[in-house]
Amino acid sequence: MSTSPIRRRHFLQSSTALIALPALESLGFRRFASAAAPAAPPKRLVFLGFGWGITTESWFPDIKQPGAGYTLPEGLKPLARHKADFTVVQGLWNKYSNDGHWGSTMWLTGANRFGEPGQNFHNSISADQVAAAKLGLDTRFASLQLNGSENAESSGHGPGLSMAWDVSGKPIGGHKGPVEAYHRLFSKDTTPIEQQRAMLAQKRSVLDTVMENARAMQRGLGKTDKGKLEEYFQGIRDIETRLSKDEQWIGVPQPKAPIPEPAAGLAGKEEIKIMYDIMLAAMQTDSTRVLTYRQPVSTLLTSIGIKVAPHDMSHYHSTMGEKLEASKQRDLTQSDLLAGFIDKLKATKEADGSRLFDHVALAYGSNIRTEHSLDNCPTLLTGGGAGIKLGHNVVAPKDTPLCNAWLTLLHGIGVNVERHGDSSGVLKELIA
Amino acid sequence: MNRPSLLLASLLSAYASCHAAEEQSHAVMGQRHRALFQETCVSCHGPEKQKGKFRVDNLPFEIKDLETAEKWQKVLNQMNSGDMPPEDEKQPAKEAKADFLDDLANVMVAARRTLGDQNGVITMRRLNRREYKNTLRELLGVDVNVSDLPADGGGGFDTVGANLFMSANQFEQYQLIGREAMEEAFAWQAAAGVEKRLHYEAETTTPIVKKFVDYQIDAQKRAQNWVKAVEEAAAKPENKDIVAKIRKESKNDSIFRREWARIPGAPNPRSFGFDKKGENDADLANDSLGAGWLKYHQYYMAQPAVDKGAYLGTQTRHPAELNVNYIELLVPFDWPVGEYVVRVSVGATKDAPPERRFLDFGIYARTGRVMATHEITGTIEKPQVIEIPLTLTRSNMTRENRLLFVREKGSWDTNEEGGRKRAEAVKRNGIGPELTLWVDWIEVERVPNAAKPKPPGIAALGIPLDDKSPAPATPELRAALERFATEAFRGTTPPADYIDRLLSLYEVRRKAGDKPSAALKETLAVVLSSPMFLYLAEPTADEKHRPLTGMELATRLSYFLWSAPPDAALRDLGKRGELMKPEVLAAQTERLLNDPRSEDFLQAFTHQWLGLDRIDFFEVNRTLYPRFDTGTKVAAKGEIHETMAHIMRKNASLRDLLKSDYVVINRVLAHYYGIPGVKGDGYEKVPLPKGSPRGGLLGMAGINFMGGNGERTSPVERGAWVLRKLLHDPPPPAPANVPAITRLAGKVLTTHERLLAHQEDPQCTSCHRKIDPVGFGLENFDAAGQWRTEDSYMAIDANGKPDPKSKKTWTIEAAAALYKGPAFKDYFELRDIVASKSDAFARGFSEALIEFALGRPTGFRDEPLVTGMVQQAGKKDLAIREFIQALVASQEFHTK
Repeated sequence: MSTSPIRRRHFLQSSTALIALPALESLGFRRFASAAAPAAPPKRLVFLGFGWGITTESWFPDIKQPGAGYTLPEGLKPLARHKADFTVVQGLWNKYSNDGHWGSTMWLTGANRFGEPGQNFHNSISADQVAAAKLGLDTRFASLQLNGSENAESSGHGPGLSMAWDVSGKPIGGHKGPVEAYHRLFSKDTTPIEQQRAMLAQKRSVLDTVMENARAMQRGLGKTDKGKLEEYFQGIRDIETRLSKDEQWIGVPQPKAPIPEPAAGLAGKEEIKIMYDIMLAAMQTDSTRVLTYRQPVSTLLTSIGIKVAPHDMSHYHSTMGEKLEASKQRDLTQSDLLAGFIDKLKATKEADGSRLFDHVALAYGSNIRTEHSLDNCPTLLTGGGAGIKLGHNVVAPKDTPLCNAWLTLLHGIGVNVERHGDSSGVLKELIA
Repeated sequence: MNRPSLLLASLLSAYASCHAAEEQSHAVMGQRHRALFQETCVSCHGPEKQKGKFRVDNLPFEIKDLETAEKWQKVLNQMNSGDMPPEDEKQPAKEAKADFLDDLANVMVAARRTLGDQNGVITMRRLNRREYKNTLRELLGVDVNVSDLPADGGGGFDTVGANLFMSANQFEQYQLIGREAMEEAFAWQAAAGVEKRLHYEAETTTPIVKKFVDYQIDAQKRAQNWVKAVEEAAAKPENKDIVAKIRKESKNDSIFRREWARIPGAPNPRSFGFDKKGENDADLANDSLGAGWLKYHQYYMAQPAVDKGAYLGTQTRHPAELNVNYIELLVPFDWPVGEYVVRVSVGATKDAPPERRFLDFGIYARTGRVMATHEITGTIEKPQVIEIPLTLTRSNMTRENRLLFVREKGSWDTNEEGGRKRAEAVKRNGIGPELTLWVDWIEVERVPNAAKPKPPGIAALGIPLDDKSPAPATPELRAALERFATEAFRGTTPPADYIDRLLSLYEVRRKAGDKPSAALKETLAVVLSSPMFLYLAEPTADEKHRPLTGMELATRLSYFLWSAPPDAALRDLGKRGELMKPEVLAAQTERLLNDPRSEDFLQAFTHQWLGLDRIDFFEVNRTLYPRFDTGTKVAAKGEIHETMAHIMRKNASLRDLLKSDYVVINRVLAHYYGIPGVKGDGYEKVPLPKGSPRGGLLGMAGINFMGGNGERTSPVERGAWVLRKLLHDPPPPAPANVPAITRLAGKVLTTHERLLAHQEDPQCTSCHRKIDPVGFGLENFDAAGQWRTEDSYMAIDANGKPDPKSKKTWTIEAAAALYKGPAFKDYFELRDIVASKSDAFARGFSEALIEFALGRPTGFRDEPLVTGMVQQAGKKDLAIREFIQALVASQEFHTK
């Protein structure tokens, strides 16, 4: 028995998945596949999360110096050369967050963990995925989730498989470390096209087989259990969507990697640096337009010779000294890495001659400020993609929803959703 | 058999007694806080003013819905952060505020528990990572690496269905692992009858050391001659200027000599036999001049019995040059997967001190994966033979995964640590660490598995697995696939459509050019990522609770006590309905607990229940705690598990975990603790000497290690752990946004003095008044779990280094008093107090068991069950199996 194409189409229609044909005429594609005339480059959205937060006293600009004329605080000094090109926003938080060790779980969602009666964990869609639903249609990967290669717990990220959560609030997996990410993006498939099609067909019949089994099992299940099995169906549907995308991209040459394959076993500072390069390469080749990176913190410390345990470090108030020093060093290293990333974003040219930097909206921060403090979440925004005001120390009213910032970015890149998470509107302080 | 009636009686009384418990447990804020609330909050957030659009005067004191919960959460957050009441407003009394926050935090925990309660509904769950691995093992007889699957959990046990997610990525991992499992299983079958044996005589090392010593002596002499010749050339008056110039550029004599070529008349090192293959030959000559560790190598050669064996010493030269630190043995690449046994004939020298008589065994010495540690009681004259079982799988294909090693425990765990020990010895004796262990020979043998019964999945297939026989005919294959799927699905036969699809997959692969075995593996791997394999389903169409069928009960029982599928015997009892009989169920429960498969349940349960993941969160500071090496850490963790295993085996009392007159330790820990009496090579029960602080969890090195950061103890961490795990009085989760106490930073204070600051702010006091005293009582255990009577602290100077001048040393004062509870004058009294609260401990244990077994969080509705379990076990002095029997006999365990 083989799969009838009619059933497949039926199945795909019945799912919530949207299958978009890659717009072969789209600009993104053309830039690496043909020499046609360039048009306006696409918008990109990038989130960089760093778990355990920052050193409150030396990372934030003085709130008494709002606007462009502020003195750059110690923790941001490595970013001095970009001062006119980023904005620090103060006063934002996710009001429902209560877990002092979860720096990333709800960072992009703003969800209430207890929001669903009868469950002790609940989450909702993350801002990147909201963007991916639109920006992801024309690229090989709708979005790319990257993780540090260490365990997320020790870096203060909290539960989750990456920083991304899907439309039903379920965790989305991510690629662990630079080598895996690189291969996902640039590994060449040298298999002949006919064989690729045959392999796709085989993969599909595997999916059909397990779906058959799932349907048989679904009969007789109660409502809650059906809901649980729905995750399985959704997983299979996601793969179906991916396969359909693969199918459309068969024969379209994979972009040539602009960078060499990263060495195995990189950790901490070097790992982040290379990961930024990979993200840059992903944007350059227009492989995806939405990226999140759950950065390593624990190995970052080790890589710069700090022996203080990361969680201990964030509790520097109890002893100051060594722990505070570690915390400040972490800030400097992270700022320095970000500054390097911004350099490269500025140096990379789009097909129309503009800077990649001008088409990227990048947010850098964490749900945790310091220790277990979840208010005034450190938030640094950069890139010209969302058209926000740059070069400012924005002091928003205390306890403004962090999701207002995400909503502002989403609108800025052309994703005009009405609200996101617990947002109450866009951040007018950011509108240039 | 009177258990059922006993249980019924206890359940009945439990229902009566729990009514009261339920009343207290509701999420209700005590009326005594009404006054504070009225005085402090209502004036701004009441009927007249609603600052911040927030009104609390109408806030119900009983939390019944999410909206009320969120409002109270806001109150709690604002007061914790110190934002409310505002600084310029009237402040409540410290004590009253602390009480208010204390109660509110706990009420919020109760509210979250009630509102998050699943109403006793057990969500269908997929196999978690452990169960998935075990299920593959039971089905196919193979162990596969599942660490690429995302970790399970996210609060609570890894059996809680609601937290076990599925995603596209995860599905793809299942496909990969399923394929690997089939490859592995086929490989084991193919190699079933293979016998292999390798014998290695350790004295192979001796001529290598001898040759190296001779070489070093000779090379040193040649180097001296060369140096002399260079110096002579340098001393010539005509070379004065150039020599002066080079001297100025060179830091020392060796660097100076590297520039020999610039000195007219200085001879080429190569003419003295130094050829560094393209690099500067002078480097080799310079190095040979020092003849590094020659004395140690000569000392090695001077030992007795080097003609019959090899010593395990320290690392001297680069291991590629000369290795006297460990013995390596490569399992030949063409030896197949399977069960192996490694035998090491080994003895200790006469003078070896007790702590230097331990042997580490592992794979790949450079990264030092230690897999077993043994104390050596044999001597050089009468060596002992240690047997170590070893499983080699397809993941052991590369050199790094099949290069076995033996080494003295802790002699070179890391370069830093090994170097430190070596330097210490040189300081002491001028040579290096004394040689204490001597290896006679090593043997590796593959144990054939042909005689063992085939694993059920393979047996069910019943068709040839290799390509030597002709490919099976379709009807034969179809039947094989059906049998395999039924076995994989734990006795449920899938619909014919599904088998048809499998069959067509097989055919597609065959047409694509796969050999029969390859196509079969691919097809069977699909079964292993099908939902009927991955999920434990208990269908209920109408959403109502219903009794489990016999088969479902068998599955639930075996996944509870084995974390693995039911075996044929249990399935058969389930199928025939026999398992529903209380006496049969009780007997099966005993059987499952007596089976080695129950080890995984006990390990996983203990690990999660006691929160042991913290042991691996950080490394110990080896400069401060040199004795807590890798082997000791492994043993410290082992003690916790082995003690549980002992209690389970003997059906001993849960009380033994709080206080006991024995410990279950191995020789490594016996030495670490200074407790005599361990006779065998593994863990065993030994009586404690009088006055020993050990005995029970509180006295274990592993537990105390967790209550610190590998460097300093954390009374807060320890106190919270005791409240959470032993006293069943968990402090609420660390609140967000509490302002930090900064004014003590940099000051030189005792731990006690530092923590006193917690009493200043009500936000801190509300929890810490309960936590800290318990932690003080455990201060006699250092961060590595050794008993101490003193502690010290140094301030950190401007460079971030501890300043010895500021060092303050104090005698540990373990006296304190539990909050609203008895005072204790030392650790021993604290332990007695904790031990006297065994009922609370038993309740916590029961709740954990329920959650683990049923795969859902416990709610207040489970109070009768908890009480019933504690009462039933109470009649047998809290014997551990009674808890399990009571749970297994309960209605909840039999209900979907």
